Amino acid sequence: MKPLTIALAKGRLLDPSARLLASLGFDLNGAANSRQLIWDDVARGARFLIAKPSDVPIYVENGAADAGIVGQDVLREGDADVYEPLALNYGHCRLVVAGKAEHAAADWRFNAGLRVATKYPRAAQKFFSARGLAAEIIGLAGSVELAPMVGLADLIVDLVDTGQTLKANGLIELAEIFKSQAAFIVNRASFTLRADELRAMMEKIEERRDQ
Amino acid sequence: MNPSLEKQIPSGVADLFFNDAARKRAAENALAQTFARWGYSEIIPPMFEYYESLASAAGAELREEIYRFFDRDGRTLALRADFTIPIARIVGTKLYDRAMPLRFFYVGSVFRYEEPQAGIRREFTQAGIELIGAATPDADAEALALAVESLRALGLENFRFTLGSVAYLHALTRDLQLDDAARLALANAWRRKNISALNGLLDSLSLDPARRAALAQIPALAGDARVLDRAPAPNDDARAAIEHLRAVLARLAPMGIRDCLTIDLAENRGMAYYTGILFEAFVEGLGFSILSGGRYDNLVERFGPPLPAIGFAVGIERVLMAPRAARAQNRAGIAPDVIAQLPADFAAMQSARAAGQIVEVDVLNREADVLREFARVRGAREIFWRDGPKENL
Repeated sequence: MKPLTIALAKGRLLDPSARLLASLGFDLNGAANSRQLIWDDVARGARFLIAKPSDVPIYVENGAADAGIVGQDVLREGDADVYEPLALNYGHCRLVVAGKAEHAAADWRFNAGLRVATKYPRAAQKFFSARGLAAEIIGLAGSVELAPMVGLADLIVDLVDTGQTLKANGLIELAEIFKSQAAFIVNRASFTLRADELRAMMEKIEERRDQ
Repeated sequence: MNPSLEKQIPSGVADLFFNDAARKRAAENALAQTFARWGYSEIIPPMFEYYESLASAAGAELREEIYRFFDRDGRTLALRADFTIPIARIVGTKLYDRAMPLRFFYVGSVFRYEEPQAGIRREFTQAGIELIGAATPDADAEALALAVESLRALGLENFRFTLGSVAYLHALTRDLQLDDAARLALANAWRRKNISALNGLLDSLSLDPARRAALAQIPALAGDARVLDRAPAPNDDARAAIEHLRAVLARLAPMGIRDCLTIDLAENRGMAYYTGILFEAFVEGLGFSILSGGRYDNLVERFGPPLPAIGFAVGIERVLMAPRAARAQNRAGIAPDVIAQLPADFAAMQSARAAGQIVEVDVLNREADVLREFARVRGAREIFWRDGPKENL
């Protein structure tokens, strides 16, 4: 039998995800601090992949992993056809629109030619389109807060956790697009073909989560 | 080669030859033969027709994916995006007064403008059936049984079917007066088994507590037939949908195929044009479904008198990606049995061909030793030399 393969998003979710899996009895010692990309727990018939967050839904959708742990923000930005049966109650954050203080709450909504810098072009486009705003979305790969400071963009759409980064860069939150937390996702074929293993695992995760 | 083209062919299409083409043809033939033995006759709709007639019957999602173009009079045409809608049109306009049921099978390309994703192409091949004019549990059971038989005919073994009922989900929501956005959000939350999104949505709908509990329970209704005992049935339609599923399962039991079925009442594929049961098949080693189908009782009436119908389609390219099918069909060889030197003994070649051998003629006039080497490389087992002698390799 092939090991049950779980893809884990590296970055801020990896530590709490590894702790959750360790509490279920899986052996993931050192995964969070290693450069190794595959961890096998032969005794429990499990294999863990450590992947870039936006790649986790892709591994799961294609069946290269049976399940995965990734932020809901990543799921919303992608379009992967996966099941997302469990929200894990950690990794909480929010996707928000932010801008310099002079963009008071009302004024950005009357601006026809907004430029918006973001790592989430899809969610941003959807948010502005739904409000009839012809925003020009500028896709960046990181440090989005920089864009308004140097005149690349009027607004940013980005994840905030505590809001410290926004404040440190002189930005204020203007609107919330959605709330996010870590989610357990499952491949559609695996959900049926490996139903018993996955269901048992999800039940245990739910018990841990709700303690 | 045209060096000015950055890509030689557009995204989402493929050139198939040698083994790929042979395996595809073998799979199509195996399915066509299976369908024919169950009493289904072939139907060949046109590759393109009026956009209006295809789009009017398609769900919003499929409509977005239809390839469109104009004829010289400025009318909008469309490439077929599935077979079900063209067949519904043919039945609704031409065959509605024939003795029912009608049984049709099809094999061919369909075209959809989709983002490249897992197992998704823009031109892909579907082979499937439609059983029209019967709404009985027996008709549903026949479609499911033939779907199972089709996968077996392809050499697949470790597959599972999920079985759901759009009729049941409709029954749970019909009397709630939801707007389209809310209905779609609900269908999506069920489909993705996204319990946190589902709870948020149900909170915003201000439902009575019993109905709320029923709707919240849907994602958990997956498993064996006992799921049906747990399924909430707050009205007659919901009870009827559950009883219908029971009746279908009861008919499948003696056929020995109930064991490869998983009930999953959350499945709905965005509801689309389905009205009754719907099902999908998954095979070990592939992360996406290889067959899907369901009942659509309101589709034919868009083109003519109302007629109930059920059908399914196998995704040929997806099947060929399955590890098991790859092994089973690799025998569909392309190596010749015989290579014949010219001028050849035509009668000997024809009798070898009549006996089922593949006979290839050397039209390049190779020297004897070059031809012998060529025949070996091609995998031939025999050479017919020009003066009559035959040589085994």
